[in-house]
Amino acid sequence: MIRTEDLTKVYRVPIREPGLWSSVRSLWNRKWREVRAVDRVCLRIEEGERVGFLGPNGAGKTTTLKMLTGLLHPTSGRCTVAGFQPAARERAFLQAITLVMGQKQQLLWDLPASETFALNRALFDVNRQAFAETMEELVALLDLEGFLDQPVRNLSLGQRMRCELAAALLHRPRVLFLDEPTIGLDVEGTLQVRRFIRDYNARTGATVVLTSHDMQDVAAIVDRLVLIDRGVIRFDASLEQFRREFGTGRLLTARVGDEVDLGGVGLARERGIWTGTFPAEEVNGRLAEVLRRAPGAEVTVADPPLEEVLARAFGAARSGRAP
Amino acid sequence: MLDLARTLRVVAALLRVGLSAALQYRADFLLDAVLGVLRASAAVGPTVVLFSVREQVAGWTAPDVALVLGFYLILQALMSGLVEPNLGEVVEAIRSGNLDLLLLKPVDAQLLVSFRRVQPAAIWDLLGGLAVLAWAGWQRPSPGWGAILVAVGLLPPGLAAMYSLWLLAICTSFFFVRVDNLRYVLGAVVDAGRNPLVVYPPWMRVILTAVIPVGLITTFPASALRGEGGLSLWVLAMGIAVGFVIASRAAWLRSLAAYTSSGS
Repeated sequence: MIRTEDLTKVYRVPIREPGLWSSVRSLWNRKWREVRAVDRVCLRIEEGERVGFLGPNGAGKTTTLKMLTGLLHPTSGRCTVAGFQPAARERAFLQAITLVMGQKQQLLWDLPASETFALNRALFDVNRQAFAETMEELVALLDLEGFLDQPVRNLSLGQRMRCELAAALLHRPRVLFLDEPTIGLDVEGTLQVRRFIRDYNARTGATVVLTSHDMQDVAAIVDRLVLIDRGVIRFDASLEQFRREFGTGRLLTARVGDEVDLGGVGLARERGIWTGTFPAEEVNGRLAEVLRRAPGAEVTVADPPLEEVLARAFGAARSGRAP
Repeated sequence: MLDLARTLRVVAALLRVGLSAALQYRADFLLDAVLGVLRASAAVGPTVVLFSVREQVAGWTAPDVALVLGFYLILQALMSGLVEPNLGEVVEAIRSGNLDLLLLKPVDAQLLVSFRRVQPAAIWDLLGGLAVLAWAGWQRPSPGWGAILVAVGLLPPGLAAMYSLWLLAICTSFFFVRVDNLRYVLGAVVDAGRNPLVVYPPWMRVILTAVIPVGLITTFPASALRGEGGLSLWVLAMGIAVGFVIASRAAWLRSLAAYTSSGS
């Protein structure tokens, strides 16, 4: 569905030293610097996949997304989405994709969201019956009933984002590009959006490409992770593989009576709780040993927080240890 | 043919939404109506004063000049009703990166940026212009159907040229951050179109015909109604309009290719 070959975007940005004199001098003698926002990115995303682009600010995630949606022309390299070259912005291509940006909105601010939906129906040339069916479905799934007739400016951020999703999906796109779709949302709104995206992917088989800073978003929505840093792909594999590669292991926690000593199993006691981190292949053996020594123990095995794993992955990438 | 029907549907949908948005603010609509009447009166005022002390200016009588003024007010109505609200909107969209969302629609982006906003209060300017034209027509001998046909035929190329000039102004905002002042400069030069071109020195007539082509839609149709120029005026106007349309379309496509959006 999506292919990129050595996709590169270089921006030319002006540089200037601080101070009035350098400001004046830059009027006739401006210096420029080239910034490689995206550097020879090669990707292959199949139909129906849910892929997350993850990386720090300025890593090149959004620039990649904008090239894939045809908003930016690549400096070099090639990309195709659903068989089209995005930069050509053919009508059939634009009918096949959508882009939702958490920080920008397409809803008409002074009018009810239903007006934006009606306008999009005309712009995407959706026939009335298909429009009515899709609207009915989206209103139910996104729980839009009750505020479709209120001006957008009077809606909460969560309500607006749900309306944004509906406006972006009215033409039933085959590829969803989501740029930080949960930014600024409260817990309930975030959960609703995540659930909807997963459901949409399951029901329609649409390909989902997401960028986010929010690790929980990534864990909840995608099943494949593309780690981007300084414009370069540092890692591209499944979420599970990512955890295996960069996680230190699994966290084993046990609450037992004071008379039991689990030091011999490799756990350490802190504030009355025994904990230890072990490689995935060892954790079952340790767990069995804990339960043998303390049959009534309250035991949990969990993955380490994804943020920790990510920090480790970027550390490894920058020191050249990433696969 | 199908494309034309779709384009018309899109324009109708955009205008409908633009009109609905403008009518959300009732107080603004009423205030704009009052301002529209004041603008029309202010445009007529100097001409009334001038012709209270003179019979003619460069061979043009008061009703002749009123023709120019009438066409000028109609142009102003179309500019303030359809063009200027969109100019402000697009410049802001380019600056903020919100143009992204327009570029993702399967419709020509030029069409989208041209008809997103409507200022319904401009209807007062339009009515003012028609009233002035009606008065001029009442005062003058009938120009004949041929002259009327040429005058009406001059409106599309005149409007196309002015719209293209506006689009060229928008294109500059892809490369420069602050282009607000350009709007005022353009507005001031367009104001010069309220007088017959003949009152200006030759070099300025050329500018007001071929560079800021406001003359095409004010003096040209008035001249046609005076029985001057005939079809040659229309041919000249069409030539200039086609040049403007081609240049502005090329500039728009080039600007889009250079569009860098904004950070996330």
